[in-house]
Amino acid sequence: MENILEIKNLCKKYDNFELKNITFNLPKGMIMGFIGENGAGKTTTIKAILDIIKSYDGEIKILGLDNRKDERKIKENIGVVLDDMFFPEILTPNDINNAMRSIYKNWDTKMFNDYLKEFSLLPNQQIKKFSKGMRKKLEIATALSHHPKLLILDEPTSGLDPVARAEVIQIFQSFIEKDDCSILLSSHITTDLEHIADYITFINNGEIVLSKTTNELLEQYAIVKCTEKEFKKINKKDYIKYLKAKYEYEVLIANKKDFKSKYDITVIDKITLDDLMVLMIKGEE
Amino acid sequence: MIGFMKKDLAMIKSNFKLIGILLVVYAVMGLLGEIDISFILPFISVMIMISSFSYDNYNKWDAYSISLPNGRKNSVKSKYLTTILMVFITAIVTTILSFIISYVNTKPIDYEQILVSMFGIVFGTLLVFTFMYPIVYKFGVEKARIGIFLIVFGLVIIGGFLAQYINLSFLANTLSFLEDYIIIILVIIMIAMVYISYKVSAKIFSKKEY
Repeated sequence: MENILEIKNLCKKYDNFELKNITFNLPKGMIMGFIGENGAGKTTTIKAILDIIKSYDGEIKILGLDNRKDERKIKENIGVVLDDMFFPEILTPNDINNAMRSIYKNWDTKMFNDYLKEFSLLPNQQIKKFSKGMRKKLEIATALSHHPKLLILDEPTSGLDPVARAEVIQIFQSFIEKDDCSILLSSHITTDLEHIADYITFINNGEIVLSKTTNELLEQYAIVKCTEKEFKKINKKDYIKYLKAKYEYEVLIANKKDFKSKYDITVIDKITLDDLMVLMIKGEE
Repeated sequence: MIGFMKKDLAMIKSNFKLIGILLVVYAVMGLLGEIDISFILPFISVMIMISSFSYDNYNKWDAYSISLPNGRKNSVKSKYLTTILMVFITAIVTTILSFIISYVNTKPIDYEQILVSMFGIVFGTLLVFTFMYPIVYKFGVEKARIGIFLIVFGLVIIGGFLAQYINLSFLANTLSFLEDYIIIILVIIMIAMVYISYKVSAKIFSKKEY
């Protein structure tokens, strides 16, 4: 399968934080959920993809092109929603439309105005008068209105109520139904990702912990709940991490089938992305 | 690049009310003979541009602009071109106001004097911007405010020092052969300084990380 985004050995060092050999691929036509706790490196990775940070090692390719050498061509083809970064708030959606018409070759005024109507955003109202959710919707409308092939979204649903979130998720789904369009979506709201993401990439403390298809992850990974006595019987090779709760052990396993065939423990729960994050971050090895 | 300029001009447009009020206040003060109206040009243009940088900074526009096609280049270029455009528009408006004030006060209109003083002020205003922008791009608008104050203050002090201790009449006599070309020379200096300043700012912004 052809990849729309390829990241290979991305490294970036700060005084108190480091991205370590970030490597993952996003195939064309897919949605990738990019998860991790605050400060794990999601935004830094996205900033490197967009060239907002420059001094890093490694290789980033978008649409098969180098993100630094072919910057203009790449940026014509990507739509971006960044956490808290946008047009100055004294501008109106009409001002944004007017500017973007001259910035993107493929800017589609009709599409932008249709999104404004759909999101009930007034074209002549200053952004500063919009609620947080309305601002987010405007950012999403702006990111979508030049027919991008790849959307890079950093926390696009934060600040949205459940109805607006469902509405936006629906729009993302229609977006990828177009040929070869893809989305890299970082979010704390992992339930959204379980519904729409084809792939999940999990970053923790500047390192990619896993990058798999959502089906594979939700079907193969599981949480075993057992007593201390049962836990002690489990071979270290057969689990990834565990957490000692008040009355039981919660054990993260990566191969449900294999585990069932080896151990006689009956409580094996389906995993959610939230469980996965908590166990991966807080659990012991 | 036009798109980035449209965004900058739209920001200035949304401050029209405030600019209008300032112009009226200064025009009235000019009519009453309290101030020389031509001096509002540097004040208004610096204020407009600083506020445009402040809005950009507050909404993290610079980082967002990099995600747009040719964002790093066009963001800086558009700020410079918008500034030049705005300085000239403000110059035209203040020149017209100067004529009106002279007319209302039934003073004889000294066209040459008004135009020469306006040229000097456009030159001085652009000079302030050429020093100011690299500092703004390097340190951000908030930290640069002190720097901007120091630049304006420094230019006044240096000017005063030169006028007091250097025999300007000797200098003027020596350079008198240039008198006929002084406007052209100043225009060339102005273009060169704006160009160098732009190159420095563009270089700083091309390496900037957010």
